Amino acid sequence: MDSKSGMNEAYVISHEDLLSWVDSLMRRYDVYGPVKKKRGQVVFEQIKKADDLDLQYCSTMLGPRQFIYPSRQILFDIDRQTGKYHTVLPERTKRRLIFAIHPCDMHAISVLDKTFLGVFKDIYYKKLREDTLTVVLNCNQACDNGFCASMETGPFLHLKDGFDVVLTAKLNNYLVEFGSKRGVSIITKTDGFNKATRKDFAEKKEIETKAKQSFTKHIDTTGLPELLMRNLDHPVYKRTAEARCLGCTNCTMVCPTCYCYNIEDKTSYNLESSKRSRYWDSCQELNFAIVHEGNFRSSRQARLRQFVTHKLATWVEQYGCFGCIGCGRCMTWCPTKIDLTEMAKEIQQDVKIGRAR
Amino acid sequence: MRAENINHLLPKTAIIEQRITETEDTFSLRLSLQGDGFDFKPGQFNMLGLPGVGEAPFSFSLIDEERKKLIQTIRQAGNVVGTLAKLKKGQKVHFRGPYGNGWPLEKLEGKNVIIVAGGIGMAPLRPVVHYLLKNTGKIGKIYLLYGARTPADILFKNELARWSKKINVLLSADQVNQQIPLKVHEGLVTGLFKQIDVQLSDTITFTCGPQIMMRFVAAGLILDGQNPGDIYVSLERRMKCGIGHCGHCQIGAKYVCRDGPVFCLPDIRRFADTLL
Repeated sequence: MDSKSGMNEAYVISHEDLLSWVDSLMRRYDVYGPVKKKRGQVVFEQIKKADDLDLQYCSTMLGPRQFIYPSRQILFDIDRQTGKYHTVLPERTKRRLIFAIHPCDMHAISVLDKTFLGVFKDIYYKKLREDTLTVVLNCNQACDNGFCASMETGPFLHLKDGFDVVLTAKLNNYLVEFGSKRGVSIITKTDGFNKATRKDFAEKKEIETKAKQSFTKHIDTTGLPELLMRNLDHPVYKRTAEARCLGCTNCTMVCPTCYCYNIEDKTSYNLESSKRSRYWDSCQELNFAIVHEGNFRSSRQARLRQFVTHKLATWVEQYGCFGCIGCGRCMTWCPTKIDLTEMAKEIQQDVKIGRAR
Repeated sequence: MRAENINHLLPKTAIIEQRITETEDTFSLRLSLQGDGFDFKPGQFNMLGLPGVGEAPFSFSLIDEERKKLIQTIRQAGNVVGTLAKLKKGQKVHFRGPYGNGWPLEKLEGKNVIIVAGGIGMAPLRPVVHYLLKNTGKIGKIYLLYGARTPADILFKNELARWSKKINVLLSADQVNQQIPLKVHEGLVTGLFKQIDVQLSDTITFTCGPQIMMRFVAAGLILDGQNPGDIYVSLERRMKCGIGHCGHCQIGAKYVCRDGPVFCLPDIRRFADTLL
């Protein structure tokens, strides 16, 4: 028990006090959170007051990944005369705090950590990750395309670390728990935080059980990686790719665990300086794997199979976890609603009836 | 600087000491490195680049540890190379590396060795030949099978004659349209297999070249009795970072840049999109 740090403490706070706490956080942090826009679409953006937050939100198009791993960022300012590279690190006057991250998205960030903070550390990612506080909000209800319960990334957070605070919305108040000492340090106990009791945890457990039962979308992940790798030539990829995949790359743009990037140099008009930046790239792009010798994934079928087998199979060998966190964004934002769980299920079904290995 | 805060994407500078024209479409840059530390292994690669142009991966065709010199042999293809090709002696080039695992030279001791190179694939294998020449006593029979499009495309011709005194050098070209001092068999590199006389069960093969060539090299050797686990292939893939982040070089669960570019055949052939 780490009693000194207070990490094992838990509190309850009323909805009103929670909002005034967020307002007070804005003095020290740039606070980002889910905001409902005109057409009902919820997006993560910087908020001006706690009232802007939509804490009932279901899913967003882009997860909070964009604040830690931006879609485009400058890596170097290069002086072409001297050949000197100046590293451009994202400097901010205030630290960032992302409020009400759903457990799937928090898991997604911990999955990204395995790439960017693994064998080789990416200093750009590391800086933004360290400078960003994360407050998670557990989900009391499954969202339309979500299947996080099957992927064990939700609806309630079960990460041990890598986040700061986790909230659970209960009937009358919020339960506040911590994932880091930094998380403990951002609450002021006098501002309506009352010690949680055993009853509060019992209520949390009850809500979690109910939330888990609300899912309509499931996938059985038992032995799934091995099964997919045994059936790389399954016809589902060819059929789906040729009939439905437009190669638009939406799936990989909205996927919160996708990390691929391309690097691009842009030179100033007077040829004196260049900027080297990186931007999100996609394995669904036709020329993603092209070299002089040829394109190793020239067919849509091969590219679609890369997406499905990477998220649900080879990721496990690479990083010890699935690359899919069950948020359902890839199918929500696919113009033809291609669903990777349906493809996986078709193969599973074929195995059962002996039509696949 | 703490190891934690090293920017792996930040290039270092090398001076071009010499530009060597190898063939019509291939040239080499001899680089002299500044600063301390020189730890380049055969089969690894550097990302070479210039501001405004970008970076691309290139393997080492010579590693001179004593004098801290590297030779990178480059075939004309693409934007980055177009700019590298124009560089002259004394100019600077930026590099990051070395990246990748390199050839498992330690596996060669006490074994016969077959090297199969195709085209520019000879470049990363030249340091292996240099190693073999120095260590003939520790190694059984050594064969170098090298195929090119035409005899004029054969790289390192001036060295091949010298090598052939110590190891078996067998050459092939798709089209033999001119004679060179060395004997060149017309046809595919796999056509040279019948001239190999070794116990394949006690042999290690290193191969680098077009993937379709490596596919048939591996298939032929396995049919003749070689253990697939004794065959090592070096792969080419698109790369932007070299450190397993940008995702371009991924094959299944492997990053060619970080886990490769040299793979034990069964370890990579199990994935999709390899052609192997």
